Amino acid sequence: MTAVAPVFQNPYRLAFAEFAANRRELAAVARLRREAFARFETLGWPTRQQEAWRFTDLSALQALTLQGPTDAPVEAGALPTLETPAHRLVFVNGRFAPGLSRLREMPERVLIASLGQTLLTQSRRVELYLDQLPGLAQHPFVALNTAFWEDGAFIHLPRGIAVETPIHVVCHATGGDSAVHPRLLLVLEDGARATVVVEYRGQGRYLNAPVAELALGAGATLRYHQIQEEAPRAFHLGGIRVRQGRDSQAQLHLLSAGGQLARTDLEALLDGEGASCTLNGLTLARDSQVGDYHVRIEHAQPRGTSQQWFRSVLDDKARSVFDGMIHVRPHAQKTDARQTSRNLLLSRQALANSNPRLEILADDVKCGHGSSTGFLDPDAEFYLRSRGIGAAQARAMLVHAFANDSLNQIRLTPLRERLARLLATRLALDITEGE
Amino acid sequence: MLEIRNLHVTVEDREILKGIDLTIRPGEVHAIMGPNGSGKSTLANVIAGREGYTVTQGEIRFDGKNLLELEPDVRACEGLFLAFQYPVEIPGVANLYFLKAAVNAVRKYRGEPPVDAMDFWDLVHERMELVKMDESMLKRSVNEGFSGGEKKRNEVFQMAVLQPRFAVLDETDSGLDIDALKVVADGVNALRSPERGFLVITHYQRLLDYIVPDHVHVLVNGRIARSGGKDLALELEEQGYALYNEEPGRARRAAV
Repeated sequence: MTAVAPVFQNPYRLAFAEFAANRRELAAVARLRREAFARFETLGWPTRQQEAWRFTDLSALQALTLQGPTDAPVEAGALPTLETPAHRLVFVNGRFAPGLSRLREMPERVLIASLGQTLLTQSRRVELYLDQLPGLAQHPFVALNTAFWEDGAFIHLPRGIAVETPIHVVCHATGGDSAVHPRLLLVLEDGARATVVVEYRGQGRYLNAPVAELALGAGATLRYHQIQEEAPRAFHLGGIRVRQGRDSQAQLHLLSAGGQLARTDLEALLDGEGASCTLNGLTLARDSQVGDYHVRIEHAQPRGTSQQWFRSVLDDKARSVFDGMIHVRPHAQKTDARQTSRNLLLSRQALANSNPRLEILADDVKCGHGSSTGFLDPDAEFYLRSRGIGAAQARAMLVHAFANDSLNQIRLTPLRERLARLLATRLALDITEGE
Repeated sequence: MLEIRNLHVTVEDREILKGIDLTIRPGEVHAIMGPNGSGKSTLANVIAGREGYTVTQGEIRFDGKNLLELEPDVRACEGLFLAFQYPVEIPGVANLYFLKAAVNAVRKYRGEPPVDAMDFWDLVHERMELVKMDESMLKRSVNEGFSGGEKKRNEVFQMAVLQPRFAVLDETDSGLDIDALKVVADGVNALRSPERGFLVITHYQRLLDYIVPDHVHVLVNGRIARSGGKDLALELEEQGYALYNEEPGRARRAAV
């Protein structure tokens, strides 16, 4: 535990000592926190000399003196809704807000609740699942989250249960240079099915470092949506771990639109034969925003399929990073893994870094990746303009078409429509459909 | 309504049009014929305002206005239309949405309110029948996955909906079988009126059996080599372009 970033270590060590001393909780959870904090100290603050952080400049975040989270009132009207009946869990600065949350009737033995409350009432259940998934072991902010999390959502569906009502988790931060660490724990036992929407947003300046753990049993189906609309000055450094059992299906839709720096590291382990994982990512960035995805798909068993579609639309001096690794273990024959990264640059100063990687140790697999970065098609723009459509609107229509390809994959209609409106607003485009 | 005077155009420093003079009055249909590489499409693109073409001399006036000073979308709002030789596929933009955006852009330019949804629907349906277009094409992305014939039909359909005052058809007949050609020609003929002018660019005389022009011009090597009535097209059909190739080389080979 020597040679760690000394500037950062001391305030965090103090903060952790204080934090840990005030908690009354299961010894096993307290131990997880201590171990995670020790891991954070070993890993240290990431530097750009580290391969995984080469394109992520944390100096602006590092310059802040981060505070612990506080309680702050939030108007219900300021929070997004799904515009359809949903189980709703709201967290303000990483803490459960029961007054803003609403749970509907749910099947027996289904748990959709605050993780913090469940830790008080069913601590064994939390102990059984918390921080049990592999992946992101070297990620300092995942370690920090495991040390500092206070609350989050716990969704646990027993075998064969389908919850048709979407589960809506809203994490709102109120700024003040606070660091918040919401945790999401999702367990779908064999054959269970759920639709989950997680929204990250806030006001002012803060660091949101959430972690989501998604465990899918055999034949389970998950539709997961992460809508990152953090405040313009905020930092978002999140981790998602996925483990999938046999023939399970995970669809993850990841929209990144907010924050000055937003990075999500995702690691999915396809741990059962025939598991299928689809990632649909869309980054909208402007000014000097940075949108960053680091993805690792680990094919551990035969006949798994994975598809990654990552798109970014970059204006002004915005930048996107996509680092995607497909790793196929020797045993994982008949794997079918695809990865596509497409970046649309709207300005000469915008920049997309795309780094697709394959490591294939099995011999009977189909793997492919493609990456393209470019400006708007001048022929298409001319075609639209030749019909009377002004230059700005023509460009907006083309950008909308590019990004909408991603939104169209979302089956949850009210969410898709809301995101289409968000996209149109950002493009200053009137999308009253012609039908 | 369209006056072209001494038009010289270069593309990447190579002179393609070498002094074109052409006057088209309302109600007239002019045909421009010529071998490949003679500058036909360059003329169409310069009129529509595509980038990459440099006018070194001459001018184009549209109802007295200096067309070359106008942005491409303003030219369209003024009533100009180009039916593309190679219509562009635009994935993700629905045909109907695109058309409505175009109609409303033109209306806005004229200071009119956006089109009434029902009126627009009626217009679209009426015009669809004109070019025998299937309704499913409205919901599809602009030209995406359309056959060659469908793309050309879509061009004429757009023209029929937008009702321009002056239309340039750039080799709208290329790649069409005879049935599709008739449909396209019928669409154009239905729009002929005493107020509307047409410039029909084609390589083959065939189209002019169906869209009968008032004037025919032969464009060779960047110049109008000859002008005449509709019979000139028939003459060309028999004799080919070889007669006009005074300069050996590129144009001659292309004419074969």
